[in-house]
Amino acid sequence: MAFVTEEFRVKAEKICAKYPKRDAALIPLLQELQKESGYVAEEAMDELARFLDLPYSRVKAVVTFYTMFNREPAGKYHLQVCRNISCHMAGAPGLLARLRSKLGITEGETTRDGLFTLSAVECLGACGAAPVMQVNDEYFEKLDESKLDALLEDLKHGKYPLKG
Amino acid sequence: MENILLRDKVAELEGYFAAGGYRALKKALAMTPAAVIDEVKKSGLRGRGGAGFPAGLKWSFIPGDAPGPRYLVCNADEGEPGTFKDRELILKNPHALLEGMAIAGHAIGAASGYIYIRGEFAAEAVKLEKAIAAARAKGFLGRNILGTGTDFELHVHRGAGAYICGEETALLESLEGFKGQPRLKPPFPAVKGLFASPTVINNVETLAAVPAIIERGGDWYAAIGNGKSTGTKLFCVSGPVNKPGVYELPLGVTFKELLEKSCGGLQEGKRLKAVIPGGSSTPVLTAEEAWLVKLDYESLAAAGSMLGSGAVIVIDHGQCMVKLLQVLARFYHHESCGQCTPCREGCGWLEKLLNRLESGRGTKKDIDTIVSVAEAMMGRTICPLADAMAMPAISFVKKFRSEFEAHAAGRCCPPDAPVKH
Amino acid sequence: MPKITLDGKILEVDKGTTVLEAAQAAGVYIPRYCYHPKLSVSGNCRMCLVEVEKSPKLLTACSTECADGMVVNTASDKVKAARRDVLEFLLINHPLDCPICDQAGECGLQDYYMEYSRARSRFPAEDKVLRQKRRALGPHLMLDNERCILCTRCVRFCSEVTKTAELEVMERADHSFIDLKAGKTLDNDYSLNIADLCPVGAWTSRDFRFKQRVWFLKKAPTVCLGCATGCLTEAHHNEGEVYRLMPRPNAETNTWLCDRGRMAYKSLRAGDRLVKGFIKNGLIDLEPALREAATRIDEAKGAAAVLGSPWLSVEDNAALALLAAAMKTENVCFDFKFETGIKDGILINKDPSPNAAGAALLKAARGGLGLDEFRARLNSGAIKLVIAEARAAALLKDELKASGARLIAFATNRGDIPAGAYATLPYASYFEVPGTFINYQGRRRAVEPVVAAPAGVKPLWEVLNKLAAYSGASLRLDSAADAMKGME
Repeated sequence: MAFVTEEFRVKAEKICAKYPKRDAALIPLLQELQKESGYVAEEAMDELARFLDLPYSRVKAVVTFYTMFNREPAGKYHLQVCRNISCHMAGAPGLLARLRSKLGITEGETTRDGLFTLSAVECLGACGAAPVMQVNDEYFEKLDESKLDALLEDLKHGKYPLKG
Repeated sequence: MENILLRDKVAELEGYFAAGGYRALKKALAMTPAAVIDEVKKSGLRGRGGAGFPAGLKWSFIPGDAPGPRYLVCNADEGEPGTFKDRELILKNPHALLEGMAIAGHAIGAASGYIYIRGEFAAEAVKLEKAIAAARAKGFLGRNILGTGTDFELHVHRGAGAYICGEETALLESLEGFKGQPRLKPPFPAVKGLFASPTVINNVETLAAVPAIIERGGDWYAAIGNGKSTGTKLFCVSGPVNKPGVYELPLGVTFKELLEKSCGGLQEGKRLKAVIPGGSSTPVLTAEEAWLVKLDYESLAAAGSMLGSGAVIVIDHGQCMVKLLQVLARFYHHESCGQCTPCREGCGWLEKLLNRLESGRGTKKDIDTIVSVAEAMMGRTICPLADAMAMPAISFVKKFRSEFEAHAAGRCCPPDAPVKH
Repeated sequence: MPKITLDGKILEVDKGTTVLEAAQAAGVYIPRYCYHPKLSVSGNCRMCLVEVEKSPKLLTACSTECADGMVVNTASDKVKAARRDVLEFLLINHPLDCPICDQAGECGLQDYYMEYSRARSRFPAEDKVLRQKRRALGPHLMLDNERCILCTRCVRFCSEVTKTAELEVMERADHSFIDLKAGKTLDNDYSLNIADLCPVGAWTSRDFRFKQRVWFLKKAPTVCLGCATGCLTEAHHNEGEVYRLMPRPNAETNTWLCDRGRMAYKSLRAGDRLVKGFIKNGLIDLEPALREAATRIDEAKGAAAVLGSPWLSVEDNAALALLAAAMKTENVCFDFKFETGIKDGILINKDPSPNAAGAALLKAARGGLGLDEFRARLNSGAIKLVIAEARAAALLKDELKASGARLIAFATNRGDIPAGAYATLPYASYFEVPGTFINYQGRRRAVEPVVAAPAGVKPLWEVLNKLAAYSGASLRLDSAADAMKGME
C-alpha cells in the first residue's frame, strides 16, 4: 500500500486510540494522509477505507463534504483568501484580483511551477484582522497590496519559514 | 471592570497557576456534581456560541441514572462570519477552558472530553495540545485528578472545513467521522449524543467562564451584566472601526459604548450605516436602531435581532447592502450541508437572485422573491442554517429596500460606494 | 397508550408510534419523499411537515412521536403552504422532463405537484444546477442525477438493507449528488428495489425503461418461485405480456424482492421458451411427442420411474403421483430435503426450489421412495426410464447419464433441459396457470395466472393426462384441483 504504510499504521493506531470507535478517527487520518502528500488521492481513500474497515463511499463522501481536503495535488503554498463579509469590506476582492493577475491563475488553480494554489475561502475566524489570507496552515492578517506583494516575494524565494 | 476571560500573562500554565488558576477545579472536585451545577445555574451563565441556552440547565439534562460513558464536548468550531473570540481566548487563556472543562466533566460525570476545533485553527490546536500536556503533567487532567480519584481525559479533534459543524449535532457527526450533517432532535445530545452516549456540548467561551463562577460564586457572576444576561461577553468587532478586535465587557453594554470607548470609533471619514450585532446570521440593524441598543440577549431580541455569538459587524455608508447580502448568500449556499430541501435549494436560489440584482440584471419582482424564498426557508429545516440565511436576507431587504430597488432599476451601488466590484 | 387528536379525530396509538404512522393507520395520507417504513428516518425532504399545537415550528410527521394529548393538524393552511414551498424548492433544479421520463405516472413530484402546487415556475431555467445526466450504474439500473431530489432512500437501502454501502451523497448543498466509486457497478442482489424506492425518476430499471407507460399496466398478485422464500409479488402486465415484477410487501415474508426474482418473468418470452415438444434434438409438435414418449414408457414397463419436483405446484406433483399409480410403478419419489433458511440475511433462500414442502405433502399422502433410495435404484440399473420435471431431473443428471436411463422431461424453457434428455414436453408456467406452493415457512400460497400461455402450451396436469391416455391409462383429470382428490 502506497499510502497506508507501516509507518502510517503506527501513527494511525495512536490516533484511533483517542476514540471509543475507530472510525471516529477517519477525519484525523485523512488529515494525516493529506499532510504526507498534499492531497487525498483516490487510492489513499481506498486504502484508508480498508484500514478502518469502512465502505469506500463513506470515505469519499467525507472527503467531498469538507473543504479542507484537496482532491488534487495543491501547490507548495496554498493561498486561501477569505472572502466573507468582514474581509470583503476590508478589501478582499482587491487582494484576490491582485493575486489572480500576479499569478496568472484563478481560484481553484495552481501555478504551472507548482508553487501556488489560489483559493477563495469562507470566514477564517479572524475578522478583527481583516483582510486575512491563510497560507497552508498559517494566517496572514491585516493585509494590503504592499504586504501581499512582499509576502509573495518572500514565499517565492523561500524566505518565509512556514510552519507545518 | 476587570476581565474574567481575556487576561494577560495567563497563556502558559505557570502564569495561569500563579494567577490562581486551577484553584476552582480543586474546589469543584470537593463539591458534589449537583452543587457544581447549582452554582452554574445560579450564575445565569448562558451559552456563548449563539443560542444563549442556560449552561447549568443544559448540564442538568444529563440523565443521572444513565449507565455507560458520558461525554463533554467543547465547540471550538468558530466559523460564524464576524466571530473570532474563541481563537483569541484559546491563544490567550487556554487553561481557563481546560479548567472549565474539567469542572464541567465532574459536574456531568464525564470522564472524557473532546475539543472540536475548526481545522483552519492549526496554531490554536497546537496551543491546546501543549496546554493539555502541561495540565496533565501537573495532575489537573487525566487520571485521578489532584488525587481525588476523578478522571478526565481531554482530546483535541480538528475539523476539516465545514461551517455547519458549529451546529452541535453536526459537530457530533463530524467528531464520529461522518459528514457534518445535523441530526434530528429528539433525541437530544443530553440523552443520545456522542457515540450515542449522554453528551454536553458547550462553546469555548461558556466553558472558560466556569472556573471564575466556581471560585467566586454564581451570585458574584450573576451580579455582572444586565438582568437575565449575566456576566461578561467577548464582543468581536470587525468592520471600519479604528481598533477592531475582541473586547470583554459586561452584557448590556451599549453599542455606542463598545464602538466609541473600546474600538476608538469609526475610521476617519466613515459614516455608520448598519450593524450586524451577533454574527452574520442575525438580523441587521440600521445605524439608528443600533446606536443605543444594549448588547445583551433580551435587549437585542427586543430590537428585532440577536446577541448570537457577540460578533458585531460594523457597516459604513461606503458599503453596498446588496453586495454584502450577496456575499452572505454565497457563504450560506456554500455551507448548506445539503440535507434539508428548503436549505439546500433555498440558499442557492437566494444567491442566484442576488447575483442577478447585484449585477444589474434583476427586477423589482426579484426583490419580493428574495423575501418570499427566505420566508419559505424559515423554521422548516432540521437545523438553523436555513434561518441563518433567511434572517439576514429578510432584514437586509426590509431595512435597505431602496438599495435593492436602485439595483433593480440598474443603478448599482449607493452614492458613496467605493468601487464597483 | 398515548391518545392524540389528528385533524379532529381522536386516535389511540402504541407508544413509539410516529405521527405519520398514526395518520396512515387512520387513513390520513401525509405526503413524503424520504420516509420509508423499512428504512431509518432521515427527515430530510421536509414534505411531511405538520402542525402540532404548542410547537412554534411545523414538525416532520415522520420523526415526531405521538405524545399523549398532542393535537395535530395535517391539512391547515400553514401545512399546505409548507408543502407547496418544499415542492417548489424540489422543482427548481429539476429538469421537468416528464414527457421523456419513465417515472411519469408514478412520480412523487408529479403527484404532489397536482395536489399542492400547480404554480408556474419563478425560477429561471438558466439558473438550474447542472447535474450528471443518465448513466447505467450496474446491470439493472440507470441513474439520472438531474432528477434526483436527494431523499437518500437509495443510500439508506444500500447501507441498511443490503449492507453493501455502495452509495453516498457526495459534496454538499445543491451541488451534492448520489454516486458510487468510479468504475464500480451497483450490482448487489437487490439493486432493483432502488428503482422502486426512488420516489422520482432518478433511478429507473434498465429492463423496464420505456417498455410501457405505467398507466397502461394492470397489476396481478403472484408469488415468486425463484427459491423457497416464496416472496409475494405483483406482476405488471398489459395485453397478455408481463412487463415487470414488483414486491408485494407483507409482514410474513418480504418487503423487497431480489433482482433474480424480478427477472423471472423474462422466461415467458425468452427465446428458449418451449411451445413444442422435443425428441432428442428435434422439435416436433406436442401430439407426436406425447405419442413417442408414451411408447417409450410402455417399453420400460415396470422399470419406469416418476420423479416429483420441488419446482412444480402441489397439484402438478399430485398429477405425477397419479401417473405413477396408473403406471403401477413403485419407483416414485417426492422427497427433496434441501437445507432451508435465508442465506444472505435478507431474502434469498438456501433452498433454490419453491415447493420442497409442497412435494413433501405428496410423500406424506402417497408414499414413495426417499431421494437417496431413488438414486440408488437408478444407479443399480433397475430404472430404465425417468419421467420428471427438468430441474428436478437435473438433480440426478450424473446418475441419469451413468445409468443410461431414458429421461422424459417437462420443461417451460429449453435452458432447463438436462443434457441427454430423450423427450421433452412443454408445459405452461405458473404465470399462466394456477398452482399451490408452500414456502420454507410452511405458508401455503395459491398462485393465480397473470397471462395466458402461448397457443398450444398446456398446464402440466393436462400434459400428464394426455400422456397417460396415450399409454392406455386414464388419470381422469379435468383441472389441476382434480389431482388433489383424496388428498385433503
